Amino acid sequence: MASPEHYSRRAFLRKLAFADEAHLGTINKSLVCIFLRGGADTLNMLVPYANDDYYRLRPNIAIESPSRGGSAAAIKLDDYYGFHPRMAPLLPIYRAGRLGMVQAVGTDNFTGSHFEAQDQVEHGESCGHSLGGGWLGRHLSTRSLVQQTPLSAVAIGTALPESLRGAPSASVLNSIEEIKLQAPAGQSIAIAMALAKLYSAEVALLAEPSKTTLDLLGRVEKLQGKAYRPANGAEYPDNTFGKGLREIARLLKGGVGLEIAALDLNGWDTHFFQGAEAGLQADSIEQLANGLSAFDKDLGSSRSTVTTLVITEFGRRSYENSSMGTDHGRGFTVFAIGDRIAGGQVYGSLPHLTRGQQMDLLGPSGLAVQFDYRSALSEILVRALDNRRIENVFPGFKGQEIGLVKRTVV
Amino acid sequence: MTVSRRNVLKFAALATASAGALPLSGCEGITSSASKLLGEGIPSKVGVATGAAVDPDFHFLSRATYGLWPGDLDYLKKMGRETWLKEQLDFEKIDDRACDLRARRFETLWLDPGTCFEYKKPVLRDELVRHMLLRAVYSKRQLYEVMVGFWSDHLNIDVGKGDAIYAKATDDRTVIRRHALGRFRDLVAASAKSAAMLIYLDGNENRSAAHPTAKNIPNENYARELLELHTMGVDGGYTQRDVYEVARCLTGWRIHTPWQRGKIYFESAEHDDGAKVVLGKTIAAGGGERDLDSVLDIVCKHESTARHIATKLLQHFVSEDPPKSLVASVAAVFEKTGGDIKEMLRAVFSDKQFDQFAAGKIKRPFHFIVSSLRSLAADTYAHSSLTEYLNRMGHAPFQYPTPDGYPDQSSYWLSTLLWRWNFALSVCDNQVPEVTIQLAELAIAVGALADTEQGIDTGRNSATVTRPQLDRMFSHFVGRQPTTLERQVCFDFLAQSKKDSRPELVGLILSSPAFQRY
Repeated sequence: MASPEHYSRRAFLRKLAFADEAHLGTINKSLVCIFLRGGADTLNMLVPYANDDYYRLRPNIAIESPSRGGSAAAIKLDDYYGFHPRMAPLLPIYRAGRLGMVQAVGTDNFTGSHFEAQDQVEHGESCGHSLGGGWLGRHLSTRSLVQQTPLSAVAIGTALPESLRGAPSASVLNSIEEIKLQAPAGQSIAIAMALAKLYSAEVALLAEPSKTTLDLLGRVEKLQGKAYRPANGAEYPDNTFGKGLREIARLLKGGVGLEIAALDLNGWDTHFFQGAEAGLQADSIEQLANGLSAFDKDLGSSRSTVTTLVITEFGRRSYENSSMGTDHGRGFTVFAIGDRIAGGQVYGSLPHLTRGQQMDLLGPSGLAVQFDYRSALSEILVRALDNRRIENVFPGFKGQEIGLVKRTVV
Repeated sequence: MTVSRRNVLKFAALATASAGALPLSGCEGITSSASKLLGEGIPSKVGVATGAAVDPDFHFLSRATYGLWPGDLDYLKKMGRETWLKEQLDFEKIDDRACDLRARRFETLWLDPGTCFEYKKPVLRDELVRHMLLRAVYSKRQLYEVMVGFWSDHLNIDVGKGDAIYAKATDDRTVIRRHALGRFRDLVAASAKSAAMLIYLDGNENRSAAHPTAKNIPNENYARELLELHTMGVDGGYTQRDVYEVARCLTGWRIHTPWQRGKIYFESAEHDDGAKVVLGKTIAAGGGERDLDSVLDIVCKHESTARHIATKLLQHFVSEDPPKSLVASVAAVFEKTGGDIKEMLRAVFSDKQFDQFAAGKIKRPFHFIVSSLRSLAADTYAHSSLTEYLNRMGHAPFQYPTPDGYPDQSSYWLSTLLWRWNFALSVCDNQVPEVTIQLAELAIAVGALADTEQGIDTGRNSATVTRPQLDRMFSHFVGRQPTTLERQVCFDFLAQSKKDSRPELVGLILSSPAFQRY
């Protein structure tokens, strides 16, 4: 490497970047994957108000039927389902046919363990059959490596999620403004060069992250320092989730080649006093709905290329527990937003809602699983992201047709 | 390689007159002086390893402590590992006054949960975090502190949940710190009756069938994590029925409100007093609060628990993928001694395979920060300018949301390199506010700077950073000589710098892959 004096700071940092930027324009479809950590009680988000068992099993925490009217009642979607009242910001997207839902999606995992179920869903594997890497990581591995940069895949937060493990390149950040090498004496280029050499000797774990980090420093420079103003009057909620979505929109619109973005929303493990139209879960729903609504508005014309997936590790029991919460269950509802989504409807039917310890002894009960979660994921990758090697993402898995994503007309 | 005399002296001067470091407040200044009198400084001579591979004693200390304070290696080599380990396990006898001076200042740590209610949550959180960090940096009871960290993850409580924060200081004192080197069953029993844990995993809300507001459905949250995380492990062989039965056994433990906030009690009217079967063993009806003991007897004596705890200890101290034979032998110690934590640690550290794993793990951010501060003999009171680095790397104590605790796997932490580099570069140049290091004093002690060069007027003579000087400085931090490449990079960096860059050179060593490993 030549002496840093030969380069301007910017040119040198750019030189650290490996890929040819000319290729980045070819990324024209993106996926935003939102993980609701803790096992979301989707029965209270997509409310089966026409189901008597729902009200029988949840005397304290059910969402009232739309026929009751008022702000505590569900918002009617069709003759069977309604939205939780705090889902209201998503109603226009649903009505526009861009928000679709799949009922009773799940895994073959009976342990009821958050950590096993989250890992499994993020790895995209069947229970106990480790594939190596995460499903988004494997998806990115099937893409042309020439196009991959640290901004091809971005996770908002402080740690890379399991779903992105194995990606050729991925970055973790809260905001692109914070990506700076803070060498106090202003010698950041000399330091970056020295670090590049020191880490070049690493063959194990530290090799890739160091390359990615140095590469990222060069790439974000052109985005930094410019104030970002959301478009179309979008107002992101002032919380971590809202800020994360705002940063993703900024990257998507910045044309940096972002293909996959991952973002978590915590706080769905509602064993205790989850509430109904108001309360712990309602607050989480509000964060989710307000954030997604602002994001959709802000994307404006870019949204035709962006698909947003909302997933969790398992649903919860159909019945409430002694502390007016719900324990770990099985099936859950998947939510997906985008122009590629055949939305405005719910796919799959609601399984019979039951309660009974006998059933729980086999594993947590709740919604019987109707669609393997990978059926939903692979439909999105194939039809919304043009993945042509899906067998490399979910080897040996034969998906069921759901119809959630429109077929691409080539 | 030659640099000007002026630069050498600037290197020394920077240590005391750095532009960025704020002066310590009066009280903290006095404490720092007192701490030094109690032996918390830099010894005048500090030995460093001279081999090309990591010194086995350096490796041993890297695992058994939060990083080597200047002089630690000499101390260990003088007394031998066995004596050192004995001294550390007998931790109450170690004079820790210097650390106490810094860490005992946080009054909320000594209060009961009810009194903690008088404080704002951010105050409580900051005091918990600062206390944890200061103990890790300054305690001479290093192995004990490492175990406190280990159990704080194993029995994780996120202080962000509900009112758990009011009871966490009590949990830290009477569960984690009281039993960190005691018996495993005592530790878990204390945790089961900890108000913070009852809040965090909803044990407080787990009521019996007979109780009017309950509907024959216990809250399984704590029961599940007790089996899955705290004792047997997810593959430990329990069933969903066991989770349910354990949840029944644990019904009725409540927290007093409001007069004795945070005190726990057993409410027999809310306890399911029927017979239960846990892991094939019947617990007779009418056990009342003794059901908890029955459950703990069954699960703590289960072989899965011995294996689970042995595996986690070995993953922490030896290797992410520990040899099966080692797991078996430490699990056997667990079973033989009834879960004596000290005996398990003896087995871990005295195994002949231990030395094979040098530099095989990557420090987690907390460990990285603490080991940086220790190896630099930094003076700090862990103000927010320092703890902010932990927040940014996602590793602030007691703030991991889920009950599995901060992951011990290196792969989880690999996205934090930029923040490690930025911390290393800043702290070495005294640019982290309220953290002060004396780099010249350290450099002289390790033999990386001739002591005649300190404090002399600048600008006349020339001086060199010799290869031996660089090698000694490097070895002080990582326990071995630099490789040819590492040495070359360091010299190239100095050569390219237009101004004196030796604080940054040390920052570069702390940023290097070698210092991320341990």
